[in-house]
Order: sequence, then structure tokens, then C-alpha cells
Amino acid sequence: MPYYRCVVPEGSVAFEQRAAVAKAFTDVHCGSTGAPRSFVHVVFDETPDARFAEPYFVDGGNRAGRSEEVKAELLSDLLGAFASITGVEESQLGGRITEGPASWTMEGGMVLPEPGEETEEWYAHDGVAAGG
Amino acid sequence: MALVRYDCTMQEGQIGEEMRSRLAAGLVELTGRVLDVGADEVTVGFADIPQGFGFRGGVLSTTSLVRGSIAGGLEQPVRVELMQAICDMWMEISGCTVDELVVSARDA
Repeated sequence: MPYYRCVVPEGSVAFEQRAAVAKAFTDVHCGSTGAPRSFVHVVFDETPDARFAEPYFVDGGNRAGRSEEVKAELLSDLLGAFASITGVEESQLGGRITEGPASWTMEGGMVLPEPGEETEEWYAHDGVAAGG
Repeated sequence: MALVRYDCTMQEGQIGEEMRSRLAAGLVELTGRVLDVGADEVTVGFADIPQGFGFRGGVLSTTSLVRGSIAGGLEQPVRVELMQAICDMWMEISGCTVDELVVSARDA
């Protein structure tokens, strides 16, 4: 976590744009939350998803526990970055961030800490620190 | 309806069919052992992320994700035992490192 799934029409976003969006999302998320970069997963999915009205949709899953203000700013910045890099009009782009308990996930062999409860050990973990 | 469902997502080309069968069998076995449920109550699905479509930390990802959903939910110590068992099994069979695997066990 976080896990950002970008639903996009088939063939609409080139590799270079996908890579740029992934880097931008990592920058945005880590800048907003202070999370290590290797926490951030970004996946592009060209399978249509009928749950979303917009053809381009950023479906994010984060650890629960952040304020509404932080979440709203985070989503706004993510969508802004996506639109800027891809050229997609904002009317064609939607997004949401859903949350789940950190304790439900194990990453790098460790149960994820709750936001704000990260330890030095967690940040010092090789895989986390290395961005692998 | 199965009590436990696993959705496994891997980067395309990293894990072949034979290994998937072993991973699925491993998930069924360890789930039965940890949660005391029968094999017919566990389902496992696999999906690939095409090359160039999955990123971690802003670079191309080599990470697999195993997402478990458990009907009725789990107490946290059992959840941790289950996730650790999945990590151990997955790394042993696939040869991936601990940093190439994300496991979740969610209440459903």
C-alpha cells in the first residue's frame, strides 16, 4: 500500500506517460504522507470498469487513518498530475481513495504500521528504503 | 461460496503455469492448516499485469500481490500467522525476495 490502479482506455496511455504518471504519483503520495517510496504501487489497467462513469479513473487504496483534508488534497494532486502528463481533460477523469486497516497487509515481511506509527525499523528496512 | 478467496496478481512473465499450480496448492494447504478449513472452501485466482503496466516506487515493478478475503473475518494474531505462512510459502516456491511480495488478508 498504497495501490493506485489507473483504469484507462486500451492503447490510450503510452509507456513513457505511464512511467511518468507512476513517478509523479510516487512523488505526490510520499510528499503528502511521508511514506517510503517503495510503498507506492501504480498499475495501469486497460480493462473497462463499469463501476466508473469516467473513461479514465484513478482507483486508490490506502492505509486508513489520515484526515479528510489530507485525503482530499492527495486525490486532487494525483488527478492533476495524471491530467497534466496524459493530456486527458478533467471531465474525462475521475478518482477515489478507499481505505483499509494497515494491519491487514504484510509488505517486506512486516505488518504495515498505522499512519503516524511508523518506526525507524520500518523506514530502515532495506526493501522499503531502496524503493524495490 | 468459498470461505477464503485469494486473488494473486503478478507481473507478466515472472511466474509460469507450473509454478502457479504449486502456489495455488500451497495456498490451499496452508489455509487449511492455519484456519482449519477444507480445500473446497478455498479458491485461488491468478492475473497478470502486462509488462510496462506495473510500477513500484516509480520504477517497473517485480512485485507479486496476494490478496486474501476471509468470510467472517479473523483475529489479528491468526491473520498475521496466515500472512506470514503465505510469505514463507510464496518465497520458497517462486524464489522471490521478501521485498517482492505484498500479502493481505482482509475481512469479508
